[in-house]
Amino acid sequence: MNFRDGAHNLYHIIVAIGYLGLQLLWYFLQIIVSAWYYILIAGNIFESYFISYGVLKKYKSLHIGKLQYLAIVIESEDAHQTSKVVKLLQWLDSVGVKNVCLYDMNGVLKKSKETIFQTLKNAKSIEEVNEDVTHHAPDHMTLEFVSYVDGKEAVAKAANLIFVKNFKQHNIGGVLDHQISLEPHLNQALQIVGCKGPEPDLLLVYGPVRSHLGFPAWRIRYTEIVHMGSLNFMRYGSLIKAIYNFTKVRHNYDFPKASSQPSTRNK
Amino acid sequence: MFSLRLPIPLEKTLITSLPKTSTTYSAYSGMTRFQVCHRYLSNSITKRGTSVVAFQDEADGEIFVDEDFLEVDPLPVELQPELMPKHVAVIMDGNGRWAKMKGLPTSAGHVAGTQSFKWIVKLCYSWGIKVLTVFAFSMDNWIRPKVETEFLLNLFERSILSQVEECKRKGIQISVIGDTSKLPKSLKSMIANAEETTKENPKFQLILAVSYSGKYDVVQACKSVAKKVQDGLLHLEEINENIIEKELETNCTEFPYPDLLIRTSGELRVSNFLLWQLAYTEFFFNKKLWPDFGKDEFVEALSSFQNRQRRYGGRH
Repeated sequence: MNFRDGAHNLYHIIVAIGYLGLQLLWYFLQIIVSAWYYILIAGNIFESYFISYGVLKKYKSLHIGKLQYLAIVIESEDAHQTSKVVKLLQWLDSVGVKNVCLYDMNGVLKKSKETIFQTLKNAKSIEEVNEDVTHHAPDHMTLEFVSYVDGKEAVAKAANLIFVKNFKQHNIGGVLDHQISLEPHLNQALQIVGCKGPEPDLLLVYGPVRSHLGFPAWRIRYTEIVHMGSLNFMRYGSLIKAIYNFTKVRHNYDFPKASSQPSTRNK
Repeated sequence: MFSLRLPIPLEKTLITSLPKTSTTYSAYSGMTRFQVCHRYLSNSITKRGTSVVAFQDEADGEIFVDEDFLEVDPLPVELQPELMPKHVAVIMDGNGRWAKMKGLPTSAGHVAGTQSFKWIVKLCYSWGIKVLTVFAFSMDNWIRPKVETEFLLNLFERSILSQVEECKRKGIQISVIGDTSKLPKSLKSMIANAEETTKENPKFQLILAVSYSGKYDVVQACKSVAKKVQDGLLHLEEINENIIEKELETNCTEFPYPDLLIRTSGELRVSNFLLWQLAYTEFFFNKKLWPDFGKDEFVEALSSFQNRQRRYGGRH
């Protein structure tokens, strides 16, 4: 009996030690993974500072010509930080990015428009610029302010405009019979309701979520989308890196990409 | 409704009690679904290392194995079943580049891509995702060489033909969205047959975007709205974004808005895919080419999705 009890106790001790060993192994693995994660974050931060101070030579020359129109999506909560938005725009101006579309879902940036224009002396609104914004001389920035109402709601308004116009002309049958021709009508109608901006080449998302948060869908068919993290932690180096990567990477379009105009391309 | 019984009841095999893993997506009323990965032997059947789904009747505790769920992949421990996205969309990019890297013809890349496609369908089905939408063929792809487009469409037709009955048996509903007017007649007929055959009692919906573009979808939705106005079913002043949304081709599903979009091959674009529907979709861009995208990469995408804070701005 004693032997049996002893064996039983020994078994329990071995199981307990084994269980403890597995727990220690699990915690050790968690530490390893967390450490690797923090090393990656630190690496990104250091790289960003090296880029900012010009240590990494390859980022010194950016071929901005490829980036004709840039869109920036900002979380509406962060968009209240007008000073950060202005700082971001000043960084873009300094590297030669002159045409920028600013988007936040709730229209906070639209309300801050005046403040932003007052701070940025050489910026103009897209409504003031008559010619194609991608071809104007780069002596000033062109800013476009967009919110959710310029997306799906704008498409609905544009569609409504077409239907009203065609019903008045008793020509709705033409719209229905030729679906392909409806697309250029929609493009024109979107211009009329105020959606003048071209399709961005690159869209930078500042926020916790990797989503474009309702940016006008009509305009991002072939737009590169890069998540930049929260606006609170924006870094000049990260911005340069994102733009650099866009200009350097070969874009595998399935067709010759036209200029960034709201177009009827891709027939 | 209930599964087939094995020749020997499971109580007499190695599976004596089943750990409860999840009931959130039980398809059988009165039953609790488990996922078991055991080796078990019986006198007449040997199944080694096969993942099975066993059901325990809540009333009397009797255990059944559903043959229809054989070879289901168990949910990895790092994923939480309650945080799984309901709708996943995938842009299967990189077949051509994969083939080029291997020194193979482009067609070989597409064939390899179909294996990844079948794999991801199986994983979505196994892990409780309700809808999977794949960008099989874009409207932009029509400009590719005719040889390639014909091969792709032929491959697509053969794939549907070979999978329809199994999909029907497993409760997988097949839906196809896109402008099918340009497709060969045989393919159109195949699609219609597949949709009709698989439309009943879906446990999982597979949406294939063929000859599709997001802009086309919005345009056809506007056309449908215009038709309704012309027919007197709608007034002009009633037209708003919600009316247009109801006419999009993704209204074939209960969950038209993807929670997660995965794009392979390192491209960072949506390429005219589900433009309207992606407003609040999480993007996951992976550098792997589509034929190399497997379970590990999919788990990484889902894990990343589950770890993110999602906001809808009050407009979801």
